[in-house]
Amino acid sequence: MGWLLSLLSSSMNKSLSYGIGVIGSLCVHALVLSVLMIPSSQDTKSIIIQPQYINAKLVQLAPKKKIVSKPKKIKSNSAIKKREKQRRLELAKAKQKKADELKRAQADLEREEERLDKLKRERLERERLAELQREQVAAEFAQALADEQVLINVQEGEEEANSYRQLIQQRLSENWSRPPSARRGMETLIRLQLVPTGRVVGVTVLKSSGDSAFDRSVEQAAFKAAPFVELQQMSPSLFEKKFREVDVSFSPQDLRL
Amino acid sequence: MNEDNLSILALVVNASVLVQAVMGILFIASVMSWIMIVQRGIFLSQAQNNFRAFEDTFWSGVDLAEYYQELTQKAKDIGTSDGIENVFRAGFREFNRLSQSDKVDPDAVMEGTDRAMRVALSREDEKLGVNLPFLANVASVSPYIGLLGTVWGIMDTVRGLGMMQQATLAAVAPGISEALIPTAMGLFAAIPAVIAYNRYAAKVEGINTSYETFSDEFSSILHRQVYSR
Repeated sequence: MGWLLSLLSSSMNKSLSYGIGVIGSLCVHALVLSVLMIPSSQDTKSIIIQPQYINAKLVQLAPKKKIVSKPKKIKSNSAIKKREKQRRLELAKAKQKKADELKRAQADLEREEERLDKLKRERLERERLAELQREQVAAEFAQALADEQVLINVQEGEEEANSYRQLIQQRLSENWSRPPSARRGMETLIRLQLVPTGRVVGVTVLKSSGDSAFDRSVEQAAFKAAPFVELQQMSPSLFEKKFREVDVSFSPQDLRL
Repeated sequence: MNEDNLSILALVVNASVLVQAVMGILFIASVMSWIMIVQRGIFLSQAQNNFRAFEDTFWSGVDLAEYYQELTQKAKDIGTSDGIENVFRAGFREFNRLSQSDKVDPDAVMEGTDRAMRVALSREDEKLGVNLPFLANVASVSPYIGLLGTVWGIMDTVRGLGMMQQATLAAVAPGISEALIPTAMGLFAAIPAVIAYNRYAAKVEGINTSYETFSDEFSSILHRQVYSR
């Protein structure tokens, strides 16, 4: 460098050397800036943010909750109705007895054919009505009982199922390592096929995020998190009902990008 | 500017005003110091070459009076002259003037000649060392300026973090990345300046020493001439 400069400057006045200085300086800075800019534009895509906060949620939760809340209302309504019907039934029975006695007395006393017929007809009608009412009440009561039983079953099962879902969610979150291409807003929906031992026998992508690396990371997370040995403690009926196939959606929500 | 873009350019553009000002100052300092580096490099190597060429001619047995005339003519043609020629010409002129008159004491002639050469030497020393203080300033101050920008940027980032609900790495990372740019720029400006300053200071020292050596040798030649008369 010095040799080159000395060659250049064998006879050179001051302003010329300053001019060369300006040009050289600008060249150096332009070079450095261009070197900085070129790799940085490529780097932007490979920023890796380690997955420490992951949102993997079970998509089944929301609809199930709705199902739970409906029977409750039915239960309260039907219970009130049931009680009312019973009271009415008793009242009706008392009335009927009174009417019978009255009728007998009247029959003894007056023995009027016309009236008897009328009373008879009345009684028949009442009996028929009461019978109808009784049947209706019985049916409703049975219905309410069945509803309540279902509700209790559902509630118990749902609680248990939720705890297992949380477990699965936690395990999947721990084992999910997102690819660098993961972006906020991506979502992959997968279906896990489980067997009662807790092993995962199949993973199918129901809804792809559009990024194959992301989908693959989700599948890998599912296999890495398996087996869910805790599922062995679950009652077989619950497993068959809810855990034979589990849908899970993966979406990173803590990423900036 | 795309928000998702984390390129350095985007970070610079989105930085706060003070950080941008710091970056601007550092950029200017860097450009200036590189101008000085190149210019001083050219000037100093020129001075070294001139000195070598001058010594070659001087010790080749040329007639000093003729050589003096030649150099004076050259200085007149170009307008300015630099380096060892000035020392030689100042000494020779003074010696000739003083030795023209017969009554002058030889000691006085030598004293006058030495003084003239010393003045010329210190002028040349000044010329060689010009701009070097600027390089020293850039070398020592620009890291601090860069640090100021970084500290300010991190302060801003952390204050912004306090207002956020969720403190994630993704929320702080761009701010810190942006804040670190001034330090990088400060170092970028300082490192070449330090290297150049040290190198040029040593070079100036070396050239000065050779000038002084020459002036001593020249003085001894004149001394011989004065006393041998």
